[in-house]
Amino acid sequence: MQPINEIQVGALQPSGTGTTAVKAVEQDFANMLTNLVSDVNNQKQAADMAIQDVHAGRATNLHDTMIAMEQAEISLRFMVQVRNKAMEAYQEIMRMQV
Amino acid sequence: MEIFTTFKIAASAMQAQKTRLNITSSNLANVETTSTPEGGPYKRKSVYFESKPITFANQLHSSLNSGISGVRVAKILEDESPPLKIYNPAHPDAGDDGYVAMPNINVLKEMTDMSSATRSYEANTTAIKSAKRMAMKALEIGR
Repeated sequence: MQPINEIQVGALQPSGTGTTAVKAVEQDFANMLTNLVSDVNNQKQAADMAIQDVHAGRATNLHDTMIAMEQAEISLRFMVQVRNKAMEAYQEIMRMQV
Repeated sequence: MEIFTTFKIAASAMQAQKTRLNITSSNLANVETTSTPEGGPYKRKSVYFESKPITFANQLHSSLNSGISGVRVAKILEDESPPLKIYNPAHPDAGDDGYVAMPNINVLKEMTDMSSATRSYEANTTAIKSAKRMAMKALEIGR
């Protein structure tokens, strides 16, 4: 009778190149998300500055402020959509029967 | 983002139209101004626009969007047509002959100019609204 061998952890894991590829994808996604969030934050700060300029009487025109606000809004909505997609994908994977 | 190009273009046009409205209101305010620091009556001013290239974040965009441009006020010139002469010897700015040089401003012309500036401003607001609607519709994909 053959002895039952302990399963080697290494055997279950994908080959070396695969692991690095997965890691790279993870890194890419994390970077993309971080960039996106910082971009949205920048837009928001620009809009905030524009609003402050209007209140302080420094702003030369109103429409630039409104446009900055619109840009911030669109960027935020885009970020929320990306987040929704990511969450959807995550939940889909969590529901998966193994 | 590329959709913000519309915003940039429309904003430049709105800025230009606002300058135009300022000039028009200056003309309307000075419709009866007979003395200025430079001497003589106020002279009607008008704006001239020129296209302004939009700066893009990278070269790819600029090659895709070559030919589109914003607008800016190129110069503000004075109307050199002769002033209107009105007989009013009691006026402090009246000449020896009793005639006063009044500004060469036609109020009706200024009013139409003002409406035109307002409409143009509105048109650019609508362009921004459209761009925003398009972006919002794009975000609805897959919802």
